[in-house]
Amino acid sequence: MLVDAVLYDGKSSKEHQVVLDFTFGRRVKIASHNIDIALDELEISSRLGNTPRVLEFPNGIRCKSQENDKIDQILLDFDIKKSKTHKIESSWGLSIGAVLITIAFVGFMLTYGANYTANFIASILPQNTLDRVSEITLEKLEKGYLFPTKLSEENQTILQTHFDKLTQGDARYTLLFRSSKKIGANAFALPSGDIVLTDQLVALSRDRQFRDILGVLAHEKGHVVHQHSLRMAIKTGLAGVIIGYMTGDISILATGIPTVLINSSYSREFEHEADVHAVEELKKMNISTIYIANLFEALEKEHGGEGNSSTALEVFSSHPLTHERIEYFKSFAP
Amino acid sequence: MYEREVINQIEKPEYQSFSFKGTGAEYFRIWIVNIALTILTLGIYSAWAKVRTNRYIYANTYLNGSNFEYNADPIKILIGRVIVVGVYGAFVIFSEYLMMFEVAGFIALVAVILMPWLMRQAVSFKLRNTSYRNIPFKYTGKTGDFYLFFILHGLLNIFTLFLALPYSYAKFKKLIISQSEYGQGKFSFDGTAGESYSTYILVFVWTTISIIGLFIVLALIMGAVGAVFGNEHINTLGETAQISSIFNDINSTVLIDNNITYDSNLTYDSNMSYSDKNFDEALGLMGLLSTLFIFIIYLPIAFWQKGFSDGYFSNFVRNFSRLEDAPLKGTIRPFKLGIISATNVIMILLSLGLLYPWAKIRYLRYKLENTHFRCDNYEQFESLGYEKGSTVGEEMVDFFDIDVGL
Repeated sequence: MLVDAVLYDGKSSKEHQVVLDFTFGRRVKIASHNIDIALDELEISSRLGNTPRVLEFPNGIRCKSQENDKIDQILLDFDIKKSKTHKIESSWGLSIGAVLITIAFVGFMLTYGANYTANFIASILPQNTLDRVSEITLEKLEKGYLFPTKLSEENQTILQTHFDKLTQGDARYTLLFRSSKKIGANAFALPSGDIVLTDQLVALSRDRQFRDILGVLAHEKGHVVHQHSLRMAIKTGLAGVIIGYMTGDISILATGIPTVLINSSYSREFEHEADVHAVEELKKMNISTIYIANLFEALEKEHGGEGNSSTALEVFSSHPLTHERIEYFKSFAP
Repeated sequence: MYEREVINQIEKPEYQSFSFKGTGAEYFRIWIVNIALTILTLGIYSAWAKVRTNRYIYANTYLNGSNFEYNADPIKILIGRVIVVGVYGAFVIFSEYLMMFEVAGFIALVAVILMPWLMRQAVSFKLRNTSYRNIPFKYTGKTGDFYLFFILHGLLNIFTLFLALPYSYAKFKKLIISQSEYGQGKFSFDGTAGESYSTYILVFVWTTISIIGLFIVLALIMGAVGAVFGNEHINTLGETAQISSIFNDINSTVLIDNNITYDSNLTYDSNMSYSDKNFDEALGLMGLLSTLFIFIIYLPIAFWQKGFSDGYFSNFVRNFSRLEDAPLKGTIRPFKLGIISATNVIMILLSLGLLYPWAKIRYLRYKLENTHFRCDNYEQFESLGYEKGSTVGEEMVDFFDIDVGL
């Protein structure tokens, strides 16, 4: 077979139009340059799209040829091994397979993958790391956001007793009473197991024994048990890498966009997981889920919310809507 | 007759444009197969993927009928990647998980000290693995010059509050380009500080205008939302924004804890200033708005800015670079490049990343077609042979997306 090519002598940038002659068995000849070598001495680059093929001769001579199909035929005829990659790349079917592998991988990493990774990291992460992270967070919060509690000793004791029962004396968990006008009625969990409860939330309790607050604490414990902060961090990082790869721009990581996207789509899932945990814990302690449902419901009624806002907003809301949660808790109440 | 032809060529050689012959469909398959194989081999294939991508792009870049070549050895790239990822991984583990800031600081310090050397390595690697008409490029700059540059210009910019940045930029380009060679031919760059300043001022002015535009659009949207949903909701919205900003503030300083799982559903103020339903709705609205804002407004404007900056700077570099007496010329229209960049990002987002190969080629093609070279004799260059060396620098520069800008 004859193949048209451009020859470089390895010394200058001059180009010579030549014909590579593959008609003499396993040899290649270039008559115009007195070249006659065994085919096995020739190094042929793997095919890449329709870019010119590079053929390297032993003495520094290089040829480039656009006749990819002919060269492939020669490789086939002489049974020379060639790279499989081009075969995959040239087939649309296999390329679609590659798309599916990629989508499956990304999907897996953002769901089960992140959970496995979180569990794995959590298992190798010393507890004192989580403690230090939480300590730093708490220190920041205490500068300006959290203040000493004003709850009565009596109320604190009731809540603490509930908490101890809930955690079964596991030293990992600590209940912290704080007052915060800025954060308002809230409770939040730090990865160390510290759970902060604001006076403002306690003030909203509808139950003298604070069984509704206990539900909230169980919910917060769920966040710790399921390592939601770690999973969120991992998913955010992953989303950043994926978006960075998609746009070919790593600087996007610094913009916090991945955080916004991940936060709005995943916290719903996390809130639900924590709710499930709360229900389980309350069942174990033989406390009805009606109290936490009541806490939510009373507030909803008081403010005249009919509880069916538009579904479009529901999709984008980062938390499951209150009435959905009420229904969920109620479904477990006798 | 022959003589006249030669004289004609010498007197007025024409500028010739670079061109790109690759297609999106072809590049798409190479790109997606690269990703899939990288996934299946747990990242090891990424080195081969990089070589195939660069080979494809270089080999499709033509000047005067001949194409470029990328000759890097994937094994070398793999070694470089393993080292860079290993060191970066150690840094992350020490700083974010083990909280051993002394060790992490030491790693960072060593990395900073090695930076100039690694950058030189990167430039050298890229050039010696690029060839055109079988003649490799080469970098002859000294490591000492890089250290001198970073120390001098680092200090200069600290003391001038970065007002000397355009001057340093011109000097850096000179450091890179004036010590690059092609065969026996030497490149040179003679862009002055003055020209660098005027480029920077143009970019700065247009960037400022883009940011102001961004705020105007934001204000219009908030106004429109106010008209539709009424004031009560806007107040709630404001409150919500405040709460989330408080938390973002804290989070940005805490590394691992991106999410102090706080419950905004439980956020009932003791004076009952807003209802849970409004709050839910406001929260949903915030999510919807911030998502829309990012996709429809922020990203296109940010990428428009990126595009026109690239246009201005690329023209500046091209217009003052020569290979011996053969000049380069850039005729990129910055705003057109900005629009290409902005529409690319929309295209990529709408296709969930699948149109990335087309976008990349579209951008590259425009830049190449507006880069020109005037040379009277393409056959005069002599090969000084191919060289080998380490790749750690190249991989580090790649990993951290540092633009050496050749």
